Amino acid sequence: MSDKPEKLITDDGLRLDGRHADEIRPMKIEIGVLSRADGSCYLEWGRNKVLVGVFGPREAHPRRSQRADTAVIRYKYNMASFSVEDRARPGPSRRSIEISKVSREAFEPVIMAELFPKTAIDIFVEVLQADAGTRTAAINASSIALADAGIPMKGLVTSCAFGKVDGQIVLDLNKEEDNHGEADFPVAMTQDGEITLLQMDGNLTPDEIRKGFELVKKGCKEILEIQQAVLRKKFETPVEEPEAEVTEEAEESELEAVETEPSLEYAPEAALVEKIIEEAKEPEEELSEETVEACAVNEEAPECDKVEKIIKDAEAEVVEGEALKEVIEAEIKEKETEEEAFEDEAEFESAFEASFEEVPEPEELEESEFEENVSEDETEVEPEIKESADEEAQPEVETQLEEEKAEVEEESQLEQEIQPEEEVQSEEEVQPEEEVQSEEEEVQPEENDGTEEVVSKGTFESEPGIESEAESRKEALEQIVEEPEEECKGPWKVVKDPSESGSRGENDE
Amino acid sequence: MSEVIATLKKDYIYNLMIKGKRQDGRGFKDFRDIKLETNVISKAEGSAKVTLGDTQVLVGVKLQPGTPFPDSQDEGVIITNLELNPIASPEFEPGPPREEAIEMARVVDRGIREAGAIDIKKLCISVGESVWIIYIDVHVLNDDGNVIDASCLAAIAALMTTVVPNEQQGIGADVPLAMKEMPVGVTLAKIGSKLMVDPSLDEEAVCETKLTVVSSSDGSIAGMQKMGPAPFTEAEVLEAIDMACEKAAELRELYLEELVKKE
Repeated sequence: MSDKPEKLITDDGLRLDGRHADEIRPMKIEIGVLSRADGSCYLEWGRNKVLVGVFGPREAHPRRSQRADTAVIRYKYNMASFSVEDRARPGPSRRSIEISKVSREAFEPVIMAELFPKTAIDIFVEVLQADAGTRTAAINASSIALADAGIPMKGLVTSCAFGKVDGQIVLDLNKEEDNHGEADFPVAMTQDGEITLLQMDGNLTPDEIRKGFELVKKGCKEILEIQQAVLRKKFETPVEEPEAEVTEEAEESELEAVETEPSLEYAPEAALVEKIIEEAKEPEEELSEETVEACAVNEEAPECDKVEKIIKDAEAEVVEGEALKEVIEAEIKEKETEEEAFEDEAEFESAFEASFEEVPEPEELEESEFEENVSEDETEVEPEIKESADEEAQPEVETQLEEEKAEVEEESQLEQEIQPEEEVQSEEEVQPEEEVQSEEEEVQPEENDGTEEVVSKGTFESEPGIESEAESRKEALEQIVEEPEEECKGPWKVVKDPSESGSRGENDE
Repeated sequence: MSEVIATLKKDYIYNLMIKGKRQDGRGFKDFRDIKLETNVISKAEGSAKVTLGDTQVLVGVKLQPGTPFPDSQDEGVIITNLELNPIASPEFEPGPPREEAIEMARVVDRGIREAGAIDIKKLCISVGESVWIIYIDVHVLNDDGNVIDASCLAAIAALMTTVVPNEQQGIGADVPLAMKEMPVGVTLAKIGSKLMVDPSLDEEAVCETKLTVVSSSDGSIAGMQKMGPAPFTEAEVLEAIDMACEKAAELRELYLEELVKKE
């Protein structure tokens, strides 16, 4: 244990690792990492590294441990001897036994053990590297591993600690803060906000505890979003409607700029994020078409207001498009010859369609996006998308075209604006095929421009900045660690739940 | 410590709770009768026995010189152990401590440690080489529910009567152990939607979950632990904290302040 630094919280309210008081450390989750376990999860949270394997329901041994009416839940928390600075003695310690007990109790309310009488559900936690908050990290990982094992649960359990450092209530203590802080207060809660684990040591007043609860609820919510994203990525069956997905991304990136702001306040990398957002805004504006589509797609989404605004902008563009259409109309009759023009129109049309029709579920995006991230090769992904998109799009486009034609006549101004898009498309060379490009493809240009990083920007404006910051912050993290992080990012970034706040980005690291 | 309990009895207790009553006629905020004796074991440097209803807990404090931890070279060391003696219940078996015992020991320990009950700086014999190690051994003699509160009370009472055996080590005269704070643990059992203090054995078997709150004399919280499978809501936790602080203040005044006066 090192000597206590003079200040654990600087004058500007930042903590030693650059976080704000109400900010959790970056979390990264991998699912299904152990082939022999029924469910498994590897979780990194700050410098914590936790591996969880779940076995069961399986026959309970010894037999006298069986219960006739329910499964026995067994939770074993174990710290690797090398996980801490001074080598820990292997085997169960009094601490690990206590943690195992309270953690088991944290899951008992949610696991539907009564479905599996006479069996045992074993949760084994290995803490590979400890940096304060291992029990909460282990619980978060166990939630995922249990879900991975297909064990029926009423909901996920999320866990996060708050504490007092330099007299201030902060979320998710790191090792230094834990060592020198005045209190530590780990909490686990269900999705409904019921508290299934509660411990505390230190010195807190009831008022401070009230304040802490607010922080913890926020922290748990953020963690829950990460957990859900990871699970979605693994278990959601992709629906072949890429348009919606991409659109969502575009939408999110736009919306984030607006929505994220509150969360940015507490985010550690707030400054960076803001900067990034500003940068990002420019490209987004160019993409207005995409955004339009996205908005249209999510008409029902909570962000309707914002979307409407975007739609209005888009409509203006549409007018432009109509202008183009005049030119194009002639071509359209011939159809196949003038594909480029066709594409533009198709875009507008598809946007219109989207606005009129409800577009498919956003969730598919995860997979396709993920693929993009992984492969980094957009061209690979695109063909697939196109196929599906094309089939749907073409007939629709035709009908739309007819509708639009009437409108097109009105104005013929915005050709200029449209041109950039065309350029983009050509740059990408996405369109070997004649087919109308789906919304996805349109969006892709943006992503492609910046290469991978840009892609991640599209999904998360904050990421690049965060990454760099994170790197500087955590010198200790090996490259190996960082790489997996990127892989993981793919999944939850991608999940676009409109309700998610922009802060999710910070969590990912 | 989940005793086997008849479903009928469970229903009975539960239904009583709905009417705002308890099996033994107590209110939800009433402790059972508490009896506190100190200096019951003369061989120990400090000792106390608490009788809480029929629950009996004996705490002995022993001090021995030892080496300090490297990160706190001028501070004494506190080691707390809790034995669920087989004599206390047909449920308990000889052998290594069960997880309940470990958990309770650690809750008692955290309360004392985090509240700063003991002035551990005054337990240094020579910096970096020798300090007093305080062994707090909690023996549960009869388990009739709420062992944890009885243990917390007995432990702090035993510490308050502890004498540091300096003479034995040839380093001056014996002095009372320097105490700074009197943390008191109060456990709330949740039955249905109600919280009640000091659950009896039956109530412990019926209750879904318990929350132990250790509070200091200034009303701040030194430690908390949820024990049991069922969840709490945030409102329940906050309510429990208030109830626990209130009851802890009463216990402190009734029993521990008396000890201070005696001395």
